[in-house]
Amino acid sequence: MVDWLTMTIQMASLAMAGWCLVSTFRDRPMMVPHLVGMGALWLLVIGQAVVSAVAMVGGERPAETAMFVSYLATVVLLPPACAVWGFMERSKWGPAVIAFACLVLPVLLVRLEQLWNPVV
Amino acid sequence: MSDTAASSDRTLRTGPGRLLVAVYSVFALAATARGSYQLATRFDEAPLAYGLSVAAGAVYLVAAVCLARADRTSRTVALVSCGVELAGVLFVGALSVFVPGLLPDDTVWSRFGSGYGFVPLVLPVLGLWWILRVHRMDRR
Repeated sequence: MVDWLTMTIQMASLAMAGWCLVSTFRDRPMMVPHLVGMGALWLLVIGQAVVSAVAMVGGERPAETAMFVSYLATVVLLPPACAVWGFMERSKWGPAVIAFACLVLPVLLVRLEQLWNPVV
Repeated sequence: MSDTAASSDRTLRTGPGRLLVAVYSVFALAATARGSYQLATRFDEAPLAYGLSVAAGAVYLVAAVCLARADRTSRTVALVSCGVELAGVLFVGALSVFVPGLLPDDTVWSRFGSGYGFVPLVLPVLGLWWILRVHRMDRR
């Protein structure tokens, strides 16, 4: 886990959520720019996952490794799953799905950080 | 008749239903994963609480799948599971407030889902509202 990458993902995710909420309230469906945004967010998340995986192979493991890995897998799968599910909907509820995913993502990252660096 | 049934069958997973399926899926995963992990590692501490989390996760999963499948039978099952959830979150929520000793560790439904931003309390209400709305649109 790289701190600044976590921060970047959280900020990007919240920005994405804000953008999608605006689309929802303006009654717009999900468009290609939304998908591109989700793609960029997903790349950041994958980057964080790769960095963490490399660190774990190198011996730096969180105490609850199984828990950490399952959270990490969820974080990696959430953006594409919700992007596909939202894009299938051709109404304002498509961006609403993405907004939800982008609000959950920062919370999951907070949990990941706690597992990686438990504060006693 | 069969035509209208076929077209209205899918309404359950469109519009607000689309968002509900997403939220239900995330909660199904969260509750099941949390509960089974705790059951596997700390069964002795609070078996009832952890068992409840797994049960809640199962109910969320059923609701998510049925809302997504969106046929007639699924609609009924989804309605029942939303009802069970609402009853569960109210009952377990009340228990956790009035008899705190019974559940030594938190579940998804403890204190009416306050650990999850009260989403577990709001979600079944929205689910019931949406299913009944689709049901009424059909009968018209």
